[in-house]
Amino acid sequence: MGTEKGIIYDGYPSAEEIRQANGWPEEERWEKGPVAVVECVQQIPCNPCEGACPFHAIQIGNPITNTPRVDTEKCVGCGMCVAACPGLAIFVVDKSLGNGLAAVSFPFEYVPLPQKGDQVDALSRAGEFVCKAEVIKVMNPERNDHTPVITLAVPKEYADQVRTMRRLRLPEKGEGFHKAEKDEILDDDVIVCRCEEITAGEIRKAIREYKATTVTEVKRRVRAGMGLCQGRTCGKIVARMIAEETGKPMSEILGSTDRPPVRPVSFGELAADKEESDDERDNV
Amino acid sequence: MKREVVIIGGGPAGLAAAIEAESRGCDVLLVDENRRAGGQLFKQLHKFFGSKAHSAGVRGIDIGRQLLQKTEELNVEVWLNSPCIGIFSDKRAAILHNGVTEVVEAEKLLICTGGAENPLRFPGWTLPGVMGAGAAQTMVNVGRVLPGKRILMVGSGNVGVIVAYQLMQAGADVVGIVEGMPKIGAYGVHAAKIRRAGIPFYLGYTIKEAKGTDKVEKAVIAQFQGGKIVEGTELETDVDVICVAVGLRPLSELAQMAGVRHGFVPELGGFMPLHDENMESSVPGIYVAGDTAGVEEASTAMDEGRLAAAAAAQALGHFPDEEAEKRKQEIRDRLESLRQGPFGERRMAAKERIVGKGV
Repeated sequence: MGTEKGIIYDGYPSAEEIRQANGWPEEERWEKGPVAVVECVQQIPCNPCEGACPFHAIQIGNPITNTPRVDTEKCVGCGMCVAACPGLAIFVVDKSLGNGLAAVSFPFEYVPLPQKGDQVDALSRAGEFVCKAEVIKVMNPERNDHTPVITLAVPKEYADQVRTMRRLRLPEKGEGFHKAEKDEILDDDVIVCRCEEITAGEIRKAIREYKATTVTEVKRRVRAGMGLCQGRTCGKIVARMIAEETGKPMSEILGSTDRPPVRPVSFGELAADKEESDDERDNV
Repeated sequence: MKREVVIIGGGPAGLAAAIEAESRGCDVLLVDENRRAGGQLFKQLHKFFGSKAHSAGVRGIDIGRQLLQKTEELNVEVWLNSPCIGIFSDKRAAILHNGVTEVVEAEKLLICTGGAENPLRFPGWTLPGVMGAGAAQTMVNVGRVLPGKRILMVGSGNVGVIVAYQLMQAGADVVGIVEGMPKIGAYGVHAAKIRRAGIPFYLGYTIKEAKGTDKVEKAVIAQFQGGKIVEGTELETDVDVICVAVGLRPLSELAQMAGVRHGFVPELGGFMPLHDENMESSVPGIYVAGDTAGVEEASTAMDEGRLAAAAAAQALGHFPDEEAEKRKQEIRDRLESLRQGPFGERRMAAKERIVGKGV
């Protein structure tokens, strides 16, 4: 949404990033037939593609955070790597189809699956409509482990753009985001401790007026964190509020002291302990 | 009642630890408060990253099944529906089991109770329909219930983006992912799956308000700069669910009441129990692993569990020193490889700092 390009801003890799990560085959390779396009541009600890290729065309090596390197001479475009990639980031593109067409294969984990011969909407990396396209193959063997691979025939000029198809069963689309109406809500009224129904205003008061500087001190003054969940939900919010109010870093704001029982327990369950000696029971 | 190794929490760390310890000949008891062990693994329908040699490319749910099967094969003693309610001196764990509080004395105690989702306070956050992304994931992937039809995701880390994808696979409309930072937090490949499906990211935005009377009806988002909402930039849309995915923190109440020294490590989720290179805490014989020992991933949690269990088995005399050192080094090397790269290096540096300082 910003002006900067690239995967961390757009959510998909730019052509430049793919090229730099060695995912993009050389120009002369395209005409020779199908080839894997690996759009994995960040150093993440992952290497199943390396073992998935029966032709040893994908190399990661050590460390496993290396981005995959495709030997396009060895790659035959078989597509075994497409479903093996946990990140769904590998595609097979075949620009040698003829008749001005190219085939684009991609992983597609949505139901229902298209049928061979269907006309579908081919979409870009940003999910935008590129062109109409025919489904020419649907691969879903057991070894894909529920990651079907779909192949579309698209006009050759779109081969580098098309990376998926529109889902066949789309949820009902509501109205998108629009400008919000002005609305005055006071943060003081927002509940922080749900179990004991303690508001942000009450907690702020405990910090400002009663000088509470730890989560335990807030708890003792206004009961935040004394309910069923024992502060598991609100504890962090209270700590953050103390940081906001006092200017102290979070590292200096101690959490509440944890004591047994950490889960709600009935007296019956506690007293039913018959195997232990009396002094041990006293500790409980 | 006594056991050599008591493991509290049967998630990825606990299961992997139980298998390691049992196969080295330890007398193991694994307790979990849920009706099935596996922790968050059974919610993870996506294929895991990591090294091919260690289950990468396998879906989390299948890794969970494999671990459970292995614990059955090894006849590990597992108590389900059995929360540990407290730890007392001499490594005694009070465990609710079949309506009775059992006090189990452990020679070695491993605490791997996982993490908890961070909450976010905003007007309307207590309305039904506002939930942690993990809660939504449990509903959709374990309970097979779609929590809503129009969903806003708050937070663009791996959890937010993966859960958004899975909600979409289950048929929901994800109206967008808001992120307070100017860039996407998740692995790019996860973000790219979402973008191909046409879901927008709102970077530099945060949730300002959830509107509704009895439940969430609208979400208001606004630009977020320098930790503050920019007035006048508010946008709203109809939603029935708002998922909050703003990080996790270690759940370490049990470690804390056992007297384990804690430290504040922001890279790993805040206050956490400190540990040495064997995952042993400042209390001899008490080990920590997985998200309890700093929030990371299931793959690192499993290896930390194995490391703690190998060390415990060695200390108990079940695992000859030479073999144990070799095994532990192998696990440490693997952990190091999982923490490589721009996404892991901060966690790796934090872990090195913790281990380097000692407990």
